[in-house]
Amino acid sequence: MYTRLVWNNIRRAARDYVVYVVTLTVCVMLFYAFLSISSNWYHPDLGMEYDFTLLSDGMKLAIGVVSLLLLFLICHVNRYMLRARQRDFAVLAVMGMEQRVIAWLFFAETFFVGMIAVAGGILGGAVVSQFITAMLMRIYERAYQFQWMLFPDTVGWTFLFFGVCFLVVGLSDVRTIRRTAIIEMLTANRRNEPELKKSRWMPAVTACYLLLTVWMLETGIQKIYFYYDPRFPLPMRLMFGMNLLFPAVTLLWATFCAVSKKRRNIFALLWGLVPCALCNTLGAASVALVQKEFYLSLGAELLNQYLMFLVADVQFLICAVICLLSRAIGLWKEKVRAHTYSGCNLFFFGQLLSKLATTTKTMSVICMTLVAAVFLFVVAPVLTQWSFGYLDSRSMYDVQISSDYHNVYDERDLRMGDYKEVTEFFREQGIAVEADVTVPLYLPQRERFHDREKLDFPAVAISLGDYNAIREMLGLSPVRLGETEFTTQWHLAAEGEEREEFLRNNKSVSTDAGELTAAATPYYDDAMGENLYNRYTRFIYVFPDAVCEKLLAVNQNRYIMTTEPISYAQAGALAQAFSAEYAEYAEDGMEYSIRLRTLQVNSAKGSGFLMESMMIYGAVVLMVICLMILSLQQLLDLDQHRYRFGVLRKLGADEKTIGTLVFRQLGVWFGLPVVLAILVSAVILAYFLQTVSVEIAAYVGMGAVGAQILKTVGIFLVLFLAYFLSTRMLFRRAVAKR
Amino acid sequence: MKEILKLDHIQKFYGNEGNITQAIKDISFCVQEGEFLGIMGASGSGKTTMLNCISTIDTVSAGHIYLDGTDVTELKEKAIAKFRRENLGFIFQDFNLLDTLTISENIALALTINHVPVKEIEARVEEIAASLNITDILEKYPYEVSGGQKQRCACARAIVNHPKLILADEPTGALDSHSSQMLLATMQGMNDMLGATILMVTHDAFSASYAKRILFLRDGAVFTEIVRGDDSRQAFFEKILNVLTMMGGGVSDVHQTGLE
Repeated sequence: MYTRLVWNNIRRAARDYVVYVVTLTVCVMLFYAFLSISSNWYHPDLGMEYDFTLLSDGMKLAIGVVSLLLLFLICHVNRYMLRARQRDFAVLAVMGMEQRVIAWLFFAETFFVGMIAVAGGILGGAVVSQFITAMLMRIYERAYQFQWMLFPDTVGWTFLFFGVCFLVVGLSDVRTIRRTAIIEMLTANRRNEPELKKSRWMPAVTACYLLLTVWMLETGIQKIYFYYDPRFPLPMRLMFGMNLLFPAVTLLWATFCAVSKKRRNIFALLWGLVPCALCNTLGAASVALVQKEFYLSLGAELLNQYLMFLVADVQFLICAVICLLSRAIGLWKEKVRAHTYSGCNLFFFGQLLSKLATTTKTMSVICMTLVAAVFLFVVAPVLTQWSFGYLDSRSMYDVQISSDYHNVYDERDLRMGDYKEVTEFFREQGIAVEADVTVPLYLPQRERFHDREKLDFPAVAISLGDYNAIREMLGLSPVRLGETEFTTQWHLAAEGEEREEFLRNNKSVSTDAGELTAAATPYYDDAMGENLYNRYTRFIYVFPDAVCEKLLAVNQNRYIMTTEPISYAQAGALAQAFSAEYAEYAEDGMEYSIRLRTLQVNSAKGSGFLMESMMIYGAVVLMVICLMILSLQQLLDLDQHRYRFGVLRKLGADEKTIGTLVFRQLGVWFGLPVVLAILVSAVILAYFLQTVSVEIAAYVGMGAVGAQILKTVGIFLVLFLAYFLSTRMLFRRAVAKR
Repeated sequence: MKEILKLDHIQKFYGNEGNITQAIKDISFCVQEGEFLGIMGASGSGKTTMLNCISTIDTVSAGHIYLDGTDVTELKEKAIAKFRRENLGFIFQDFNLLDTLTISENIALALTINHVPVKEIEARVEEIAASLNITDILEKYPYEVSGGQKQRCACARAIVNHPKLILADEPTGALDSHSSQMLLATMQGMNDMLGATILMVTHDAFSASYAKRILFLRDGAVFTEIVRGDDSRQAFFEKILNVLTMMGGGVSDVHQTGLE
């Protein structure tokens, strides 16, 4: 009997469930597809220089974290379902069924529906995982091969994860149903929500934001006290000023509203707080830009702190703007009577305002989540390409060893190691060497050995012979110089403008071996690796060999090319042997490092894949969750809508008017958060791209970023249209004339 | 007096070829302007079907319905909605008010759908509210007022547009006896003072006694009709009971509430 009841309920509520089931299936598909990569049964052929186990462990952890979002989805949907079904429960209770039994019936119903979605999702996931494999193979530069992807352990994990999610949420529902009074269930759908101004959501958000503003003010004061110097250039002084002044003004406005009787309401407070929050956003955003431009030493901790302030400012702005827009709808209805009393606008406003308190909260959360999703979508491949582009310029040699003198304060402590342990290791392992160059790097002027300020760090020099040896190793043509000439070699990330300015102002250079003048070709910008340059500098001088002999050598690098790639195991052993001999932070202050292409490529590709796949997984999951919630918000109240539109029809509204009203209603609930999210995402992306523009130009390319933005827009548009149109269709069908 | 509604041999069939139910066999009658007509009959006698056909919510299988000279059975789908909002007012058993709007907005909605000029709307709502004694609840939501008040709001909404005909389907069905009496007095007032033409379908003899003329339906056809004339309501109520007794079989389905 109970089984039949559950089955009948599912059939009756099929319309409510369809969007939820489809979304959940898509989420399970993605979950399974990504998780299958970490299966014990999955053995892709990546070659002996790659170790895949590190990646799969990271994958499991990352998927678990991202998938917790799904718990939120299931929780949210169940709460809606529960509300929509309360009247049915009340009828069953009145008929004499125990609330305990009703609760378990509802649990069985949602659990069953959920498990159908999980089963469907696993089958779909086996197909989707082929795309993930293809993505993996592309990153590891291997050809795609079909592999059967239905793994018992992944299937088990998927069922276990979602089963536990359903169980946790279901048990909480059971508790809610058992504790709800029958009369509350009976009247649940008959009341409108409390008015927006009585909602506690925005006051709570504002209180949190104001507390954070106090912290911003405290940080602003502290940073001025510790770091401010009136000799700083204007942008830096402005940055300090903004981060002190704007939080102070924000708090002043809040205090003024609290004191003034006329303004002691949330909307008056928000009208002032929105511009203040906008200014706070500018202040927080300027920190990273100024830091990047002027090498201001604020520390990663403070940068992260301001990044957090920035995120909080944006979140508050979204909530406040949506709340004020909602309030504006109410005010518009009250004040602009001509519009309110035109056609069916009165009905339309009634529809909007009856759910304003909940939808304002939901829309704010959805808008913030969509911004995060869009950001992840665009940024994921940019970061991966960046790391791969950087990888190309980092791992140009099979082995590169370098030393760094920046912690050595006595010239006698400078050690020029020849790194013979590496040569021995190669001999023992039988690794053939194709090219091997050891290059000392010199300071043009010995007196600058003690210059350690970031903005004034001296560039080092390399002898022409060594420079040409490296060029030959990389397949580049040799360079020639006169006896008193010099040229320069520039880092990839250096901007043309910076280089031009330097060359304009430095036609000659003073060295301990005399004055040198710029050669006819004053610069080269071929990629030559990362550790050729001194700290905080983006170029290196190239001097004639005779000149270098008279200079102080401060660093010693070594570059090796092998005939065959070094295997993962050999690379690990070599790195270990090197570290045992040359500590990364030696007691005398010299720092040594060894970079092996095998290890660099392995870790960069592994983490690149992990990062890209997880960010895309997270972004898609967030997007579908948002769109599904927007859709369900409308569909689960369909019974009420059917009645209301029925009344309207009886009053004489024609079908065209009803169709327009449905479109307008869905347009507002779908459009408002989406449009706002697009605007905010555009600003945030522009800011992000501006902050890392140099790196993007060097390693990714603006074209690739543009393509990714277009791809994101395309995917989002397809998802949005799919959800919007299906919601509209289901809505229209439900309120259609019978 | 002007003839406002005319039903000309209407018939209504439900179902398909193998299983046909004839809800209305053959009904013809006329309603004069300013009349308060009651329709009585047992369950299944065709009252609601007939009302649905008049209100253009349902269509007839045969025959014609003329409202102020317009044949509503010939109206195209598009014109029906316009016709309904311009000519008809409705009072339903379950009120059909929108919980998303206040009482005043519920009344105003009927005007805005009819594109009444904005500046007239508030005045007309207040005027009708005053005449139906619901001014003090205008800013409340339907779920905040009693059933009787809700139904008076529905009356206000039905009449605010000055429709040619008000159709009331069991208006007292969901009300207690006191609220019913108040509502019926209101409807009588609408008929006497405002000149509204009302067609009320009811089970209840007491409610029917407020009408000026009553048609009795049985098995999808008009069984008989009685006119109140100069009779008192008490006398008319007894006449109604006599007819119901005469109708026999159907009488057990008809409420016989005594006059209080």
